Amino acid sequence: MDVWYHNENPYPFVPQEVLDRADSVRASLPNKYCDPQIAADLFEETLDEFMLCDDLGVNVVAIEHHAGINSLFGANPLILGILARQTRKVRILSMGTLISLRPDPVRVAEEYATADVISRGRLDIGFVKSGASEMASNNANPVNNIERYWEAIDLVTKALTSQEGPFSWEGKHYTHRHVNIWPRPWQQPHPPLWAATGDPETASEVGRRGMVNVLVLRGEEGTKRAWAAYRQARTEAGLPKVMTDHFAYAALVYVGDTHEEGVQVGSKLLWFLNTSLKMAPQYAQFLPGAVPSQFAPQVYRTVPKPNARAEGEAGGNRAGVADAEKLVAPAILNVGGLTSINAAQAMERGILFAGSPDTVYQQIMDFYGKVGGFGHLVMIGRSGFMTHAEAEKGIKLFAKEVLPRLKEIAPVTAG
Amino acid sequence: MMNDIGASAEEWLSVGDIELEVIRRGTGRPVLLLHGMQNVDPRARFLDLLGKRAEIIAPSHPGFGHSARPADFDTVYDLVHLYLEVLDALPYERVTLVGLSFGGWLAAEIAIKCCHRIDRLVLVDAFGIKISDRETPDILDVFNTSPQEVQRRSWHDPGKWGPDFNAMSDDEIVVRARNWDALCLYGWYPYMYNPQLKRWLRRITRPTLLLWGASDGIVKPSVGRAYSALIPGSRFELIAEAGHHPEIEQPDAFVDRIVAFLEH
Repeated sequence: MDVWYHNENPYPFVPQEVLDRADSVRASLPNKYCDPQIAADLFEETLDEFMLCDDLGVNVVAIEHHAGINSLFGANPLILGILARQTRKVRILSMGTLISLRPDPVRVAEEYATADVISRGRLDIGFVKSGASEMASNNANPVNNIERYWEAIDLVTKALTSQEGPFSWEGKHYTHRHVNIWPRPWQQPHPPLWAATGDPETASEVGRRGMVNVLVLRGEEGTKRAWAAYRQARTEAGLPKVMTDHFAYAALVYVGDTHEEGVQVGSKLLWFLNTSLKMAPQYAQFLPGAVPSQFAPQVYRTVPKPNARAEGEAGGNRAGVADAEKLVAPAILNVGGLTSINAAQAMERGILFAGSPDTVYQQIMDFYGKVGGFGHLVMIGRSGFMTHAEAEKGIKLFAKEVLPRLKEIAPVTAG
Repeated sequence: MMNDIGASAEEWLSVGDIELEVIRRGTGRPVLLLHGMQNVDPRARFLDLLGKRAEIIAPSHPGFGHSARPADFDTVYDLVHLYLEVLDALPYERVTLVGLSFGGWLAAEIAIKCCHRIDRLVLVDAFGIKISDRETPDILDVFNTSPQEVQRRSWHDPGKWGPDFNAMSDDEIVVRARNWDALCLYGWYPYMYNPQLKRWLRRITRPTLLLWGASDGIVKPSVGRAYSALIPGSRFELIAEAGHHPEIEQPDAFVDRIVAFLEH
């Protein structure tokens, strides 16, 4: 198993009363609350954590989110450029440039090829569907987002692999009549491709394409559902089974000297769920296209429908949301249920792996067994008010005590 | 669901390969009514009032109400060309075209292309043009604004008219969600206007009424006045104590103004 360190570089230092008053901590929170000097320190700390990972053999992940306290990584290619040059050993996963939000995927392909060459072939490319507040921040139509997502991936892939001079692309959402990127990527035919999604329909397409499917904080049921869809789609398409290295799971992870210390410090990671997800309704349940319209009754109502039967009728609100989550599983509904979760619940659900080296290893392997195995663990190792020192201690302990054991787990055929 | 006509769809109108849910009401001069952000509620009082003087034909645009949206049918110009076909399909030499809000934008686009099929034109709190500078939006961004603020700016009396999802049937909520998604798909960018439309409004040579809710905070009356200035010979009128939906908030005044315009 490979392990990837993930720190979104959040900005938690906004006064709580400001956060309480704001209807959303993403997209619309004024940037006067972001002190550039504090931000500079946070970038330095986070990049230093990535460099520590490079020393210790833990791969690194750079994500992208816009205009919120949850992450200062609004410009993924810039972070990628730094990592490509400054790290020397580990692999780098971009997860990713928010591909359906950028007007020209050819430029994204150019950035990725450049980072792959600078890093001499250490780049993995992750595609994230986006949603919610990202649509407002990027002026992107939420309704046909998924169409743009797949067309952009097709165009990026072709741009990365085409070597015989300019080609033309006149798709539904993107037109670029003269595509010919320099440099071409180091890795042939192209860097490994990942996709972050939990909804079964998208996971099916990820499966048919043979990409690495990464599930973020989905817990056992959501993870099994997505990977079952992935495998079933391959079977139905007559494609061979994949190895477990096509599956990745991202969880909050922290290792302390003792179990108690690991849980106590690791609980700070829950800030991501408890605080940084607060989103106004226009970016959440009322975002156009957030859920298929047939599920709107469950999502729009604030109280259960009067006289709604317990089963079979789309009336009960929370139960209805759970039904919708099972069937379509948009991230927006997944995170909605996590905002008030505590450490014990998060550990129970496989969202937080925290404790001593031994107990964390055991938690990871329990989850591994429950979901049928995976080849990559993305460890969200710092969030909220966890300090740089705490994060580095967790990384070192993890790399020394847990990583060698996980490295011994070789990929096997999945399902 | 598409075949479940339900309480809201009264009839269907076939245009090429597209089936539109349509409300037909009343007798008199034919009025093609193009709805705004929501499809027309068949229970709306203004239908009965206007129906005393006109034959109302009110389709739900593809993707709205219970009308299916064909794949890749996703621009305002798909809608405009669809309604040009509707005009061809209707058994009238000329119809009066009434467009509400988003439908007002469609009506203006149709009128510059097909004035000879239009008797009179009424644009009500219409989207479609931009008049202010580049940092002043003329049309409220209903998708990126809080629902409470959208509500406040939609009505003269917001406390009276807000949607209560808890009181709606499943079908009514599904229709609201379909309307919301479709509106976003068609109108997201450029947001609810055509930068080129102002140039061509002079082609509208039929009698035209710009009718505006005086309290409209979605698209302000100043936009209506600008529209009127760009359409030769048109009239601009305000309806007092009405916001973006005067047909709902002041149905009597709304119908009186339209009837007076049609019959004067």
